[in-house]
Amino acid sequence: MAVDLNTLDFDEIARKEAARHRGRRWKVAVALLFSLVWVVPFYFLAISIFKSSTEYASNPPLSLPAGLSPIAENAQRAWELGNMGQSMLNSGFYGTLGAALAVFFAAMAAFAITRIDLPWKNGWFMLIFAGTVFPFQMYLIPLFFGYQKLGLLNSHLGMLLFYTAICVPFPTLVLRNFMSGLSREMDEAARMDGAGEFTVFFRVVLPNTVGPMIAVFLLQFTWIWNDMLFSTVLGNRLETRSIMNALLIFQGSYSSIGPNIVLTAALIASVPSLILFFLLRRHFMQGLQVQQA
Amino acid sequence: MDRAAQDTELLNRIGLDQTLRRERVRRRGQLGLGLLFMAPALVLVTSLLLVPVGYNIWLSFTKWKKFKGFGEYAGWANYEKMASNPFFTDALINTAIWVVASIVFPIALGLIMALFLRNMRGAEAFKNVVFIPRILAPTAVGVLWFYVYAPDGLLNRGLSLFTTGDVEIGWLYQDNTVTPAIIATFVWQTAGLVMVLLLLGLAAIPRDPVEAAHIDGANKWQIFRFITLPLLMPTLLMVTILSVLAGFTVFDLLWVMGANYPGQRSLALAVFMYFEAFQKGSWAFGSAVAVVIGLVVLGVTWIQTLLQSRVDRMVR
Amino acid sequence: MKKLLAGLAMTTLLAGSAAWADEVQLFHDKGFWSEQLQTVGEASLQETGVKIVETPYANAEQYKAFIQASIASGETPNLFTWWTGEPFNELVSTGQIAPLGDVWKEMVASGNYGESAKELFVVDGEPYAVPLVLARWVVMYDKPLFEELGISEPKTWEEFIAAAETIKAAGKTPFVATVQDGWRGFIWFQELMLRMHPEAYNGLNDGSVAYNSDEVREVFKTWSDMYAKGWFSDPRSTEEVNDFARGNGAMYLIGEWAFGLLTAAGVSADDIGVFIMPNIDGTDPSAVIVEGAPMVVSTAGIKDENTMKALEYFVSVNGANVWGEASGNYIGNDAAKAPNAVVSKVNGDIAASNAGSYLRWWEAVPPDLQGELVAEMNRFMLDPTMETAEDVMAKMQTLNAAYWADQ
Repeated sequence: MAVDLNTLDFDEIARKEAARHRGRRWKVAVALLFSLVWVVPFYFLAISIFKSSTEYASNPPLSLPAGLSPIAENAQRAWELGNMGQSMLNSGFYGTLGAALAVFFAAMAAFAITRIDLPWKNGWFMLIFAGTVFPFQMYLIPLFFGYQKLGLLNSHLGMLLFYTAICVPFPTLVLRNFMSGLSREMDEAARMDGAGEFTVFFRVVLPNTVGPMIAVFLLQFTWIWNDMLFSTVLGNRLETRSIMNALLIFQGSYSSIGPNIVLTAALIASVPSLILFFLLRRHFMQGLQVQQA
Repeated sequence: MDRAAQDTELLNRIGLDQTLRRERVRRRGQLGLGLLFMAPALVLVTSLLLVPVGYNIWLSFTKWKKFKGFGEYAGWANYEKMASNPFFTDALINTAIWVVASIVFPIALGLIMALFLRNMRGAEAFKNVVFIPRILAPTAVGVLWFYVYAPDGLLNRGLSLFTTGDVEIGWLYQDNTVTPAIIATFVWQTAGLVMVLLLLGLAAIPRDPVEAAHIDGANKWQIFRFITLPLLMPTLLMVTILSVLAGFTVFDLLWVMGANYPGQRSLALAVFMYFEAFQKGSWAFGSAVAVVIGLVVLGVTWIQTLLQSRVDRMVR
Repeated sequence: MKKLLAGLAMTTLLAGSAAWADEVQLFHDKGFWSEQLQTVGEASLQETGVKIVETPYANAEQYKAFIQASIASGETPNLFTWWTGEPFNELVSTGQIAPLGDVWKEMVASGNYGESAKELFVVDGEPYAVPLVLARWVVMYDKPLFEELGISEPKTWEEFIAAAETIKAAGKTPFVATVQDGWRGFIWFQELMLRMHPEAYNGLNDGSVAYNSDEVREVFKTWSDMYAKGWFSDPRSTEEVNDFARGNGAMYLIGEWAFGLLTAAGVSADDIGVFIMPNIDGTDPSAVIVEGAPMVVSTAGIKDENTMKALEYFVSVNGANVWGEASGNYIGNDAAKAPNAVVSKVNGDIAASNAGSYLRWWEAVPPDLQGELVAEMNRFMLDPTMETAEDVMAKMQTLNAAYWADQ
């Protein structure tokens, strides 16, 4: 569109542009201030983890640490006292295997619901999804007794089974939505070439679903990693304890463990989630986007 | 031969019945195949999630004898006990407060932040900062904020800067401040996620109606109210239901932050249930409480699905 | 194929027998003593060839649930810890715990244990446990401060109050007491109850004395007055032990086991003095509140040689010494070395005054009421006015009455 230069008021445009710049800078300042306030709770964490126990006990809680070195000792004590090594290994095991299996099983179920001429499709889906509709408290007591009877209490297998089961419904929802949007041309082509359903699944549909699968895997892994309730009820023994459960040991009655160690432990327990988040931020966001569909 | 018999014979000759039979067999075969694919998911979900729920409901109608195993049928006794237990009523009220708060505050804050950061350059860094609390486990967040709210903690120190004397409020120790304080922590933790979801929702809004309104002379507020907000409804609704579920089942935060509060068991239904079942060993009673929690959640979910279909129709 | 199977069988057998190598699991919920119990476990291995493997549960609720469910399904652990009092009665009535009359006969005969130690664990005339911990509840005090202010150890209630007044006048806080971890509310309640109305103390827990009776009201009045005079430290503190260590309170009413925690917090052992709180009425017999943590053996465990060996080691002089040294806990074995100066002083005091033992309120109260009642006491500590006290007493009695009506 041709613009008649004579009709443009350059001063007006320049003024508006300047105003927009100022507006932007003002916005950034507000955002900065807000972010600072947002992270203030971490201040106490930041100063406490660098204090040794005696230093913490003999100084006011909000005083600055003397040096940075005590953190090594704090980390070591937190690690040993809280049995963090074993617990992290457990949570890692439950999270990786549990989430992976759950997502894979969910993909299989979603495939059946969307790609196979299955009678009563919605019914099957609702059956699976119903698992997620109830609040967690409804599973606690029955599972506790059931596991006791079956000898699954405080076992790695028991924890794994549960985590996998509870992580199946949500991915089924997400993957069902995604797969119903996938074009069927490739499937049909493969079937006409004589491929059986399994081949269609593994060679055709699955490779195209990798994106959402990674996204839900991340979400479910984080859920399992962060779980405290089910670990305390179903797997409280030292060998099977999850990491968040292990953090609770510092709340024990007669413990003389100061915030410097407790917060160090909380920090260490959060590190894997943080690393995972930063590495795979984009997938996280995409995963949430798929929910929209 | 009459017409019908003639038709049938004709159809039989072209083998329609065969086709129908084959079709039926194929469908059954597909059912078998479908079940095969769904088997792992179905088995896991049924045995570990659905059966326990049913068992829970059954258990809530029995009387549990500590140490001795499952007791006899008790009818509605557990539910009656609930009504007369003072801690239960408090827990119910607090849970209702949580539900309302977990809808209003994270969404309000998330929406403001989303609108603010929507078109800002370099917003990525701020988005990450706001989102980080969501990555931390509730247990870790609880520990952190426990020390923020301590009598000699960050909040009081901060407030002391503005007052003459020292502020030493026991936020987590007083009846009127404990729930709001923990709700604030909850909002800190979840607003980031709500913001991200709303940003995605906002990004999905087509530009044309907005520009058309601009040209027609509508101001910012009108655009927001009549175009942005309605188009954002589906996302808002989904965010609402997520928030409600999260607010309902909040346990970790209350467990860690409410540890020193005398009335901890009345902070929420979920905590009350845990104390009854695991501290006192009243398993049947605990199951009844769990059933109540379940019913309320189901109710809220049902309302949401109703609203969802209403809204879908509106948007279309 | 056969060879393979045989080989597998052999390996499994060998692996299995290696696991059987004389270990006994001790289940407990006192994770803060894990390291110390491990020390005992190792020592047991050295002396008897049986290793005690301590198996901790992170919190008491889960532990209780686990044990209850195990018993309900008939798989009681061989060796585990529990609580005395009402919880103990419940446990014994399941019939899954073995009576230890024979074990105690030997323990008393050896002269190491007095009959009184057995009393805590007796139900219907038979003892059903041995002590893991026998802790008396005493007042530990800041020795240097007492010397500085010229206060001598109080022998009467008047002296006790005078000491508090002197300390307060000198600008310090007499007592440390918090609601940390949600269970400590009963500590001062039980002590004041015992000192002021010993005859009603036991009645609280069998339904005969109401929680809003006059006796209880007097206790709360005294308690509330003490708070009004500013005699207590901030109840909201989450660092009770550190509070005493930092000098935020001169006297600390707590169980003997806290000695180890105090020394770990940096207080020198020589600076910790101890006395038993005197009765308000000098003519009342001396009394002390005792906390006993029992170790029980299941009916299957008593037939297990390893379990019994481990048990006998634990209560022997050597075992008690190792345990006492590691954790500072006294288990009633008088032939063993007193773990620390505090315990030996208390032993001496009790012997001199012939003090009677009273069960701690925490164990004596019916388990179903424990959590709710202590929550009310905590509530009082956070707002120690008589108005709150009236409300607290009313609530406690409502719960108490409802419980006993249901029995």
